[in-house]
Amino acid sequence: MIEETVLDIRELEINMGPQHPSTHGVLRVKLYLDGERVTDCECIIGYLHRGVEKISENRSYIKCVPYYDRTDYVAAVSNALGYVLGVEALMEIEVPERARCIRIMMTELNRIASHLLWLATHALDIGAMTVFLYCFREREEILKLFEALFGARLTTHAFRIGGLWKDLPAGFDETCRDFIDQFPDRVDEYEQLLTKNRIWLERTKGVGVISAEEAIDYGLSGPPLRGSGVAYDLRKLRPYAGYEDYEFEVPVGQNGDTYDRYLIRLEEMRQSGQIARQALDRMPDGPIRGKVPKIPKPPVGEYYSGIEGPRGELGYYIVSDGSAQPFRVRIRPPTFISLQALKRLVQNHLVADVVAIIGTLDIVLGEIDR
Amino acid sequence: MKFLERIFLVDILKGLLLTLQYTYSRTYTEQYPTEKPKVAERYRGAPRLNNDPETGETLCIACDLCAQICPEDLIVVGVQRDPESRKKVLTTYTFDTSRCLFCGLCQEVCPTNAIELTQDFELAAYDRKTMLWDRERLEKGWDRIDYGKTYR
Amino acid sequence: MEFLLSYVVIPGVKIVVLVLVLSGAVAYLTLLERKLIAFIQVRLGPNRVGPYGLLQPIADGIKFLLKEDIVPSRADKLLFTIAPAISLVPAFIVFAVIPFGPPDMFAGLLTTVLSWFFEAATVQAVVANTIATGGIITDFNIGVLFILSVSSVGILGIILGGWASNSKYPMLGALRSAAQMVSYEVALGFSIIGVLLVANSLSLVEIVQRQQSSGVWYFAAQPVAFLLFFICGLAETNRLPFDLPEAETELVGGFHTEYSGFRFSLFFIAEYANMIAVSAVAVTLFWGGWLRPFPSVQWLWFLDIVPPVLWFVLKVFVFLYVFIWIRGTLPRFRFDQLMQYGWKVFLPVALGNVIVTAVLLLLVRTG
Repeated sequence: MIEETVLDIRELEINMGPQHPSTHGVLRVKLYLDGERVTDCECIIGYLHRGVEKISENRSYIKCVPYYDRTDYVAAVSNALGYVLGVEALMEIEVPERARCIRIMMTELNRIASHLLWLATHALDIGAMTVFLYCFREREEILKLFEALFGARLTTHAFRIGGLWKDLPAGFDETCRDFIDQFPDRVDEYEQLLTKNRIWLERTKGVGVISAEEAIDYGLSGPPLRGSGVAYDLRKLRPYAGYEDYEFEVPVGQNGDTYDRYLIRLEEMRQSGQIARQALDRMPDGPIRGKVPKIPKPPVGEYYSGIEGPRGELGYYIVSDGSAQPFRVRIRPPTFISLQALKRLVQNHLVADVVAIIGTLDIVLGEIDR
Repeated sequence: MKFLERIFLVDILKGLLLTLQYTYSRTYTEQYPTEKPKVAERYRGAPRLNNDPETGETLCIACDLCAQICPEDLIVVGVQRDPESRKKVLTTYTFDTSRCLFCGLCQEVCPTNAIELTQDFELAAYDRKTMLWDRERLEKGWDRIDYGKTYR
Repeated sequence: MEFLLSYVVIPGVKIVVLVLVLSGAVAYLTLLERKLIAFIQVRLGPNRVGPYGLLQPIADGIKFLLKEDIVPSRADKLLFTIAPAISLVPAFIVFAVIPFGPPDMFAGLLTTVLSWFFEAATVQAVVANTIATGGIITDFNIGVLFILSVSSVGILGIILGGWASNSKYPMLGALRSAAQMVSYEVALGFSIIGVLLVANSLSLVEIVQRQQSSGVWYFAAQPVAFLLFFICGLAETNRLPFDLPEAETELVGGFHTEYSGFRFSLFFIAEYANMIAVSAVAVTLFWGGWLRPFPSVQWLWFLDIVPPVLWFVLKVFVFLYVFIWIRGTLPRFRFDQLMQYGWKVFLPVALGNVIVTAVLLLLVRTG
């Protein structure tokens, strides 16, 4: 008996998560290790499943919005935007220009907040824990802006069908401008700590490489796809909510590795700041809410509303049967789809790289499990 | 040049310089229990049922709109019809804060601004029963634990 | 009587004092680390227990003692129990050969105290016996070798602890630490050889005295060796950027994942004691030990007002500060990169340094 087990050489099967410091929530990855080298991995999800899609089938169109704050809780504003745009398109509601402006501004600020959280945790996973707190410092400023405008910090319930809940509060313009002005300097600080640091370079360059074709095959979107050199950004390709009127660049990587995705997200943060500033500059006066019936009943039909969320293409496929409740709302969560590339990305990498790759995919389990 | 930079650890020294600068700069910590943070005016926290400041009567007209709009169906409005004036009168009002999403739809839909989500955010309680707020507590507030005093 | 006094009682007193002081230093080093990292990260750090959190280490210690001691059911009980001790004891033993002050620093005090109890002849004999080991517990003529050999025993504790836990994450941590510490010890040893060549001695006291007589601290004579020693010291003590055996975000807790309560605190103390030990050795070998800055410059005599022990402590403190500062700044290496650096960069450089030093010395000494 003993001799058999001694001679038996097996892969080490190890559970990373659901309670693990760097699986970003309750992701469970079953790793098969040869020494420290990963030969295979298996993602097990569903620990945070709350049935959001089913819940929305039993709520009226207005009541659905707060639930989508809780799918991707890091980018609640983007989630609200995706859904609200879908319902508005189904009902052909005209949204006032001021509301559109504020929506874009807040969505871009949310993109910054989301990327800050990503950078914070990604850097922490790789061991640079100070970046974590510097990022949270800036994120706090954005959350304060959210609190002033929406009345909540995380689960914002940001947008209503047809516009907004309330107009900008007094003094919002200055605080927002202050933040946007000083933010690029703060990004420079993160770069000073990481971008040229040799340890950071070695930990991220050539880690989790995926080619453009493969990335498209896996259905990746957002920074993971752009990191491989595909300039796919819905804000440019299929402008929604008025993005066609704003000037910004879509950063694209070359190598498709973790380092490129890092650079892309940093550049996106700067660009988002620029977009938010443009929105502030052009902010027209006027109403903030269009004409919406008390109980919205979209005509029978279906609509797919895809937006460029911070993590990639965030889609809401809304089917209406003409009643006050949606017949079906299917959410296309960007990281649910990019997570399936994990198995491919971690092949032949070390355990430490698994952590970096999970970080670079920027997963949010609330969105994956819904 | 690049080689020299590598040998003399320029990249690492730059990072060290940045952290050194921050070591002796101002801290951002909010000392929460002793120092109450100032939340925004429109913050959506603990619910409150407003009374008319002049008469002291409740502003609620028992229209049940808040209960209908609530996504979680956690508001229950008790109504009685006054036999003389034939008007609806509010009898009971319960609000389950343990299930609340704090979406603010109830205060948005209220025609008389009777139900309102206030800036009070300390809602922790020791059991679930305490989280079920009745009309009296919604109107007067509740004796919550003052963490600032018990926790130094 | 004289024998008992000079070789049992006096060293015994020194050992007790040293262990107590060291335990206190370790406790407050944790506080220093938490505070300093907090300041780097624009936070406040512990500030609830006592003024500025000064009693925090005591609260932590009590917490560790009162916590439930859990032994995993499938663990190897014996190894699991003794592993923390194996890692702790060598960390403290290293201090036996580190000179905190000049050999004659306690001579005057010793004479007065002893003369209250004993007659002059005994006092004289005892003082004569102990004059060479005033600021040090014992002055080996192979001190450096002793440090190297003892500190490698500490690794056993980590490996055994990780193995005995019978759990996967600790095992990975133990494997990492075995590979890491063994390979970095080689470069560490070679970096020291440069100093030994210059100093011509293995005794730590003599190395310091040579630095005094030559007027140059050896970090100036051996800059490459110093840098190597410092980096390898970081690796030996499992500090960032080399804290792979306990990389929290990868291996949860590394080798001490399954440890709790008092046993965990032993590992914890060992790690911090090792930090102090590496700093102390670095100060002794490269920064002139107890010497004041510029020991041969006469007009800086006013620096002599500060007692030598304080100079030593101050220098160690600077090293600890840098250790913590680095932890607050840098990311973590990956395992294979760590090995690559160890074998392909640090070891060749250390070897090269030894050769260059030897050739230069040969040229200088033969004229």
